[in-house]
Amino acid sequence: MTEDDKDKAQRRMAVDASKSTERQDHGVVEPAAKPDASMSPALQAHIGRQVRAVFDSVAEEPVPEHLLRLLKDLDDSGEN
Amino acid sequence: MPDTVSPGLRDALVAQIGNLRAFGVSLCGDRERADDLVQETLYKAWNNLDSFQEGTNLKAWLFTILRNTYFSERRKKKREVEDVDGAYAAKLSSSPEQYGHMDMRDFQEALSELPDDQREALVLVGAAGFSYEEAAEISGCAVGTIKSRVNRARRRIAEALHLNAEDDAEPELAGPAPAASRSA
Repeated sequence: MTEDDKDKAQRRMAVDASKSTERQDHGVVEPAAKPDASMSPALQAHIGRQVRAVFDSVAEEPVPEHLLRLLKDLDDSGEN
Repeated sequence: MPDTVSPGLRDALVAQIGNLRAFGVSLCGDRERADDLVQETLYKAWNNLDSFQEGTNLKAWLFTILRNTYFSERRKKKREVEDVDGAYAAKLSSSPEQYGHMDMRDFQEALSELPDDQREALVLVGAAGFSYEEAAEISGCAVGTIKSRVNRARRRIAEALHLNAEDDAEPELAGPAPAASRSA
């Protein structure tokens, strides 16, 4: 898929999804952080495990060949 | 790039590719695009190895390059596209199979619906193994900001999954994960 196709696909998706996702959060108003007393340590740990599982499911996949080749090519070419 | 890249440094770069891919997917929700991001990150890193001080945190440095690449592209796109976050959610919901069980699927969806900055903070601290300080450096914001983003991310997820954030929900959480009893 070309860069251009990808852009288009992305845009199509964005248009569809914008119908259902109305959200306002620009990360500007951030109340001062304090230890999160409203959430039990057990629940925090539970969420932590899940985030890690999602992350690790990708991180532990075999690295695609083209990414390994990129470094090798850069190494060989000694460009710059 | 430097005249010579030590094999050790090269191997260290290779060793981070998996983490970078996972971070990329968590940011954009699109595996193909994530790999493009990783490719760009490796390329930039390689060409700027001079500015990296060996012995400092390579992983944090690479994560910084990747997220800056992502967010600057995203800013460009935002002029054309109203809701890139929505694109993320749509993309994810179309590929549920790759994460085994229901529990994970629901979580995945809740994660995808977080605002970008909260998701990033939660992933950096909760999954990628960075300290709050490192995460703040990577995201270019104050430590307190990272902490509050992580807290808010957790709360939103708890709400979305109807996990009870107020009580000590110990019994439910301490019990076997749904996946453990999945046999049918």
